[in-house]
Amino acid sequence: MGSVKIQNMTKTFGDFTALHDINLDIKEGEFFALLGPSGCGKTTTMRCVAGFENPTSGSIYIGDREVENVPANKRNCGMVFQSYALFPHMDVFDNVAYSLNIKHLNASNPIKRLSIFGRLLSKRLGKYPDDIRNKVMEILEYVELDQHANRLTSELSGGQQQRVALARALVMEPAVLLMDEPLSNLDQKLRHSMRNTIRTIQQDLGITTIFVTHDQEEAMSMADRVAVMDKGHIVQIGTPTDLYSNPQTPFIANFVGTSNILKGTVAAEENGMTVMKGEGFQLKSSNKAKNKDVDIIIRPEHVRVEPADSVIDPLQTNVIEGEVIMSTYLGSIVRYDVQVGSYQLIVDTTYSSGANIFQEGKKVKLTVDHERVLLI
Amino acid sequence: MKRIKNGFSGLTVIKVLIYIFFGLFMLLPLFSVFIVSFTGQPTNLLGALTDSTIFNSTLEKLKGISLESYKKVFSNSGYLTALKNSLLLAFLVMIIVILVCIPLAYGIARTKMPFKKTISALCMIPLIVPTFISAYAFIIMFGRAGWVTQIYNALGGEGMLLNPYSMAGVVVVQVFFFFPYALWPLVAAFKVSDISLEEASLNLGAKSWFTFVFVTFPLALPGVISSALLIFTVSFSDFGTPIVLAPKELNLLVVEAYREISGFFNWGGAAILTVVMVIVAAFFFYLQHLFTKGKNYGSVSGKPKQQKLVENKLVNRSLSLYSLLIVLVPLLAMLSVALQSVATTWGKDLLPSGYTLNHYKTIFSTSMGNIQNSIMLATGALVLSVIIATFVSYFVVRQNSAKLDFMTSIPLVVPGIAFGIALIQTFNTAPLQLTGTALLLIIAYTIRRLPYMVRSTMGSMRAIKQDIEEAAINLGATPLTAAITIVGPLMLPGIAAGSVLVFVTVIKETSISVLLAPPEWAPMSLAIFQNILRAEYYSAAAMSVVLVVLVLALQGIANLLSRKQQLK
Ligand SMILES: Nc1ncnc2c1ncn2[C@@H]1O[C@H](COP(=O)(O)OP(=O)(O)OP(=O)(O)O)[C@@H](O)[C@H]1O
Ligand SMILES: [Mg+2]
Repeated sequence: MGSVKIQNMTKTFGDFTALHDINLDIKEGEFFALLGPSGCGKTTTMRCVAGFENPTSGSIYIGDREVENVPANKRNCGMVFQSYALFPHMDVFDNVAYSLNIKHLNASNPIKRLSIFGRLLSKRLGKYPDDIRNKVMEILEYVELDQHANRLTSELSGGQQQRVALARALVMEPAVLLMDEPLSNLDQKLRHSMRNTIRTIQQDLGITTIFVTHDQEEAMSMADRVAVMDKGHIVQIGTPTDLYSNPQTPFIANFVGTSNILKGTVAAEENGMTVMKGEGFQLKSSNKAKNKDVDIIIRPEHVRVEPADSVIDPLQTNVIEGEVIMSTYLGSIVRYDVQVGSYQLIVDTTYSSGANIFQEGKKVKLTVDHERVLLI
Repeated sequence: MKRIKNGFSGLTVIKVLIYIFFGLFMLLPLFSVFIVSFTGQPTNLLGALTDSTIFNSTLEKLKGISLESYKKVFSNSGYLTALKNSLLLAFLVMIIVILVCIPLAYGIARTKMPFKKTISALCMIPLIVPTFISAYAFIIMFGRAGWVTQIYNALGGEGMLLNPYSMAGVVVVQVFFFFPYALWPLVAAFKVSDISLEEASLNLGAKSWFTFVFVTFPLALPGVISSALLIFTVSFSDFGTPIVLAPKELNLLVVEAYREISGFFNWGGAAILTVVMVIVAAFFFYLQHLFTKGKNYGSVSGKPKQQKLVENKLVNRSLSLYSLLIVLVPLLAMLSVALQSVATTWGKDLLPSGYTLNHYKTIFSTSMGNIQNSIMLATGALVLSVIIATFVSYFVVRQNSAKLDFMTSIPLVVPGIAFGIALIQTFNTAPLQLTGTALLLIIAYTIRRLPYMVRSTMGSMRAIKQDIEEAAINLGATPLTAAITIVGPLMLPGIAAGSVLVFVTVIKETSISVLLAPPEWAPMSLAIFQNILRAEYYSAAAMSVVLVVLVLALQGIANLLSRKQQLK
């Protein structure tokens, strides 16, 4: 029922192509994130699903239904807008009840319609039937807003407005929930707690969710799977761990988490190891290289820093010599910028009190395990 | 393709209906007047579409198209002088209004002159009074038996200080009753012109008059020119003042056109005059548009700077005195009308010989119908324009319908008399014989005042973000339902503001009422107009007072509403 499939979708605005041949297969109940930098086409993709834009070519399925000829108001996609788009002239209750009213409207005779129009325009002009009232109050309780049912939306805090928008979309029991950067208008703290709220609700209801964001941390911590987009293309789709440990392009390696990216050439293959050389370093990796010229990806937290005089077996692990240029405390970790040849590598080490911190200008040895050296 | 399928059917139907409305009641009449100006005989274009005999006879007439009638007209010295006189009148009024307004606008915008609030408030008077009433008020003041004339004579003057029945009379009335149209744009121009440049000039040691002439004024110049052109069009199109004041020998286009129709049923002549009027008005409107385009005063320097107001006592006092004198004239004119409405007789002496409420009794017993008619017609026009304007602004703002935007601004350039003539000509005969019905009258009022309504609704439409509407659609509403339940209510403030404007201007409307209103639907403006022509001055005065009070009351309600809105 709630799966979403996008096949070979292209979208052009005039002679600008915003989406190139997008393919997505989102499973029922999945929390799916669209991640990418500004302008890469996330919103456009979502608007195509919601029916506000028409793909130039390709097709979209919601459930088993091809939706090309289904207008936006019949797609049953609950959308949470970036700006929330709450109706400013209605209170919280009326906002949430809107879709239920519309459902009633479409199912009634002309005389009843008039009274529904009445209550859509003003509470005083029509009474809500009990089923709507109960359902709205239930969902408001669920998002902990039942106390504020009769407030105007402008009288709510950002987080509360966010929850009204969520409740308004959820009350219609949509096949898919679409959220376009729903947290970007909230402050840092609230964002973290709303992440949990949204994730919990999604798990609770088992509702298929497409979540647009340009914040990789958000995508990685919330989603079951993530599609990374760049310039209208989908670059990689995978689970957060998959993306992290197997980035398929330098772009992803950089976008998903922090990476050190080095250019190298394959010098030899020996004992299942790939040996690479680059400017001022030599590295071995237990991963296979596809080409002779490779991008070498090393995550900052996979590097250890040792004193320059320590003795390490070069057969067990990679050893690189460098010089500390800067060290920074980041809460529980210490981040070093280390000059290696022409590269500055970022190294994150967990900080335990009393441990030795390498000062600027200090010569050090860096070690990286062979399986941690990723090749693209 | 899909856009249309997206449940747009309801909205599309409405869009088509609006096009039909404008096509039928605005473009077609204007077009047929254009044709008639060549054929010289009435042409029934609608009939030609439905009836083959009419079609054939129309074809015959079209074959007879020639510039003959235009040639005849321009050799007809009467028409030519009318054009010259009308242009001269508009030109004089334009120049004088600007000269009068510059000190006034500067005083309001840039100084701490005393009585500023009072002066600003009094500047509203001319805007609420129909021009034919102002013209008539000037007769009470400056006429042969007017009180000003009497004072003038008592002081030793000969004859009249100013003969109201002359070009000068028309000019003076228009100046005193049209100046607020230029005043407020000028005030705005003076307020935003970059004050730091002026300060720089003063810092460099320039005298303040020098700064005004060479810095302040040039900066406000685009605003000045645009206001001047606006006044030109307003004066050129005005019907109320000339019809009351212009003497027989002073030919003016509007009066001439009116006489050709209502006196002689000379369709050809009236049509040519109409075409000329529209062309002139459109040209000046276009010029004005050129000057305002791209000059959004509000955004000249982003945030308005805190302006230093002139505190020089001498400058402020003389500006204040001057401004009070200017605004006093329309006030006195209206007071004269009020005084006449309670006078038994007035004319022999400086003051009325006695006072009575009989004139009011008379109009409330005999003319109650006119008051009702005015209110009903204005309500009809109001409802129609609210509906049309709401949808038009929806189409213009959301669907970028430039065509509709253009179409709804056409009425701005068509003088009332010209539009009236075009409508009569077109709907005189079957298949759509509407001349003489209240319906055509309401439609005419609606089209004429729609631009104001559209501006007002478009403003609030722009303020509604698109995603709010999309949210409604996403929640299952069709675009039409979303428009009614979400967009409509959010536009209410704009609609309310526009409504008052439409209502008030329709009640004041003269030219359309005079041409199109059938006796059983005669509104107040027509009744007053006829009373004046019949020299029944006392009941005209009483009715004028009722009209002005009605307009004032409405304006008051509107102000109250908008203040409440702002408080929210
Ligand atoms: N209606 C439109 N007309 C023309 N170009 C458009 C339109 N809508 C989007 N675009 C273009 O398509 C590209 C993708 O836009 P989109 O809004 O999908 O980006 P996004 O990934 O959501 O970015 P952001 O993170 O900034 O919201 C942009 O370059 C944008 O300029
Ligand atoms: Mg976006």
